[in-house]
Order: sequence, then structure tokens, then C-alpha cells
Amino acid sequence: MSDAKKIVLAEDNSTLSRLLKFRLEKEGYKLLIAADGKEAIELIEQHNPDIILTDIMMPFISGLEVISHVRNKLKRDTPIIVFSAAGQEENIIKAFNLGANDFMGKPFSPNELVIRVKRLLR
Amino acid sequence: MESYQYLIDYFENSPTIIKVVWVASSIFIIIIILLVIYLKYLRGHLRKNEKIVTKHQKEYESYLISYLYAGNEEEEISEEQQAIIDKLKSCAVDEFKRRIIVSTLLRLRNEISGEMAEAIQKLYFQSGLISYALSQLKSKKWYIVAKGIRELTQFHVKEVHDEIVNFVNHPKKEIRKEVQLYLVTLFHFEGLKFLDVLQTHLSEWDQIQLLEVLQHFENQELPNIKPWLKSTNDSVVTFALKLAKIYNQFEAKDAIMQLLAHQQKVIRVDAINALSHLQVVEAKDILKNNFDKLSLEEQITFFKLLENMYETSDEPFLLDHVTHINFEIKLSALKTLKILNIEKFKSLNEISDEPDYVKIFNFIEHN
Repeated sequence: MSDAKKIVLAEDNSTLSRLLKFRLEKEGYKLLIAADGKEAIELIEQHNPDIILTDIMMPFISGLEVISHVRNKLKRDTPIIVFSAAGQEENIIKAFNLGANDFMGKPFSPNELVIRVKRLLR
Repeated sequence: MESYQYLIDYFENSPTIIKVVWVASSIFIIIIILLVIYLKYLRGHLRKNEKIVTKHQKEYESYLISYLYAGNEEEEISEEQQAIIDKLKSCAVDEFKRRIIVSTLLRLRNEISGEMAEAIQKLYFQSGLISYALSQLKSKKWYIVAKGIRELTQFHVKEVHDEIVNFVNHPKKEIRKEVQLYLVTLFHFEGLKFLDVLQTHLSEWDQIQLLEVLQHFENQELPNIKPWLKSTNDSVVTFALKLAKIYNQFEAKDAIMQLLAHQQKVIRVDAINALSHLQVVEAKDILKNNFDKLSLEEQITFFKLLENMYETSDEPFLLDHVTHINFEIKLSALKTLKILNIEKFKSLNEISDEPDYVKIFNFIEHN
């Protein structure tokens, strides 16, 4: 288990977080859950994850700020997948400009997320 | 004791105004103390409630996630899933717990797609939650009916279409709004058929919400809007004109042209706007021939239409109206004329010394 790849998941919907945690842990990953952007940054700094999954709209610190922190302050190239609700095209473009690697529009399929995570961690 | 006596003596010997101030101050202090106590109790109660909700929510989240991953390919419902369904069924009897279960299911239902979203839908049926929503439709309280319809919309329950349609002309606008959203969210453009029977007013806000829902669908093929353009309900006609513009319904041009003779001015104006958007050239002659009979608002809208689809043959008509009494018509006529025939436009420099005309002419000449 110590070799398990670490994933930080920043998502304010606790039900979705728990579902994704369950699904990704079944695939052998270690999940670190953050309920907002502030917690996500703390987890990223402490655990140096292999991949980050973040929602764009979150309390306190948004997903965009999390991406910016990872790329500009921590200077890390950890793969980042962003989630976003429909109608946030502008934010998606901003996320890619800040350095996000992939994007999934909500509602999304957890199985598809697993495939994308595997692809980015290959 | 002496000090108390001193206070009583002081109060009794004080002037009336001072007494009144003391009494009022005391009353206010008592009210403030009571309010503080009440707020403290309320805050405690809300926090306690929040803790209970969080506790139940976590419990139901666990049930839901276990249910989603407990399926197997051999059985339709596994033993573990059946146990979860039974637990949820027993919890759903309590209205408070039922609300938390429904919100937990929805929180996930709105965020995920595919097999799992379908499984949540299935759980909604299996746990009997749907029967509570259906029973809400029979309530005498309008807000309970509206909540029931909204829940059925959120869980995409198409099977109750016939029951919901009965509320299309309900006297409460909140229920009508939920019905319209149910039909359009679940049946897309086909759901708009409620417009055939709608007798009540479709507000501007209702129209905006319907258009917002419609724009999300992949299939943007609109059914025949002509019957709605001929509706006796003016708000349905207005909405149909919006649909004609947004979805470029050129085939409905004849029905729209008939609306130029509608008894409501606002519909005639909307019809001119729609014809302008659809570039229906035939409308120009009809409007030109009846120009003097049109209201000022229609005349202004017609000139906007001319700005959008002018032809050389419009020149005499424009020339007749460059000195029109209305500022907007004058501006529009001169603007269009400048594009059509610049020489002619320049020759109009001194045909009027009216200040508005001079201002407009100079503005258009230099822009």
C-alpha cells in the first residue's frame, strides 16, 4: 500500500468525494480528500501527490487558485484534472491556461475518470 | 436596603419625562435580554439540527455508495443491495430523514452520469421514495405539490407525465412553473406541447427559464410552432415568436406575417422584430402600405427592419420620412439612406433647419 500512488481530490460535494474515493481506492490508489481549496493546498504541500483532481467552484479557494498555486508557487508539474459544471467554459479555458492537464464536465462518469487518471499516471 | 430606598425615592421625585425614559429603557433592556436568550436557544437548536443532518447524511452516503458498488452480474438486486433498500425504506417513513435521503441521492445524481446515475434512479424507485413524491401531488397545499413535481423532475421520472399535465393550468403560478420545467426538462422540445392547452399567462421569467433549459439539449429540432403563433393566449404567441427568432423558424413566416394584424400592439411589434431577424422581405411591402395606420412603436420597429434589409426600391419611402416628427425614425431613415445612396443623402443637407434634423444629419455625415 505504501507504493500506492497518491491522489488529492478537492471537491466540496462530500457524497461525490466519498464515491470517487471508494472507486479510486478499488483501483489501488491512495486518496486524500479536501473539502475546499484551502485544504487541498495543505494536502498537496504535505503529501506531494502523483495527481490532483479538483473542482473549479469551491469555498474559500477555488480550483483555479489551486492550479495556480501548484504551477506557480510550488513549481510542480503534477498532473491536474479539473471538474466543472456546464456553462463554465471561461473557467475551463482559464484552468488550461494555468496548467491543468485534463478536464471533465459534470455530470461525469466515475469509470471515465478512472481511465483518465490511469492515462495521466502512465 | 437604604440604597434601594434611595433609588425608589429618586424615581418618585423625578420629573415625568425622566420617569418615562426610565420605564422605556427598562422595557428595552428586558426585550434585549429576552431576544438574546431566544437567539442563543435558536442558534443551539440550529447547530444541533445541523449535527443531526450531517450524521444522517453521512449514514445515507455510506448506504448509497455501498449500494452502488454492491451489485453483481448474476442478480438484478444483490442481497447487500436489498438490505440497503430495506434500511432506506424504513428511514424514509420519517419525513425529516426522507428529506435528507432525497437530498443525498440528488447531490450525487446531479454530479455523475452513466450506469451509476441510472442506479441512483433505480434506488429512488426501489426504496419507495417515488411514492412519497407522488403522494405530494395530491396535497391541498400548493407548495407541497410544487415540491413534489420538482423532485420528480430532478429524478427524471417520466412515467408520471399524465398526472403532471393535469396541473398545466393550475391557478398557482409556482405549480405551473414546475410543471413546465418538468415537461421541458424530461421531454425536451416535445414537452412544449403544453403550450397547446395553456390558458394562463406565461410570464417573461417562465419563458426565460424554458429557453434556458431548451438550449442544453443536443437535438435542437423544434416542433411545428405555427399552432402556438395562432394561440388565443397572447403570452404563448410572444413565446412562439421568441422561439421563431432563436431557432430561425423561416417556415413559420406566413403565420408570423398574419400577426402583423394582431389586436395586441406588443405582439405586432414582436412580429416585426421576428420578421426582421428572419429577413422576410415580403413583410416590407405590407408594412409600407399600412405605415400610416401603424402605432409609433411599430413604425420605429419597421424602420429598424429596414436598416436590416434595405433595398434600392426603399429609397423613395425613406426620403418621405427623413423629416418625420419622431427622432428615431428620422435617424433611422437618414442612416439607411446614407448607406443606400450617399449622393442623395448629401443633397438633403439643407432640406430642414429643425435643430434635431441638423444634429442627426451632422452626426450621420461624420460617422
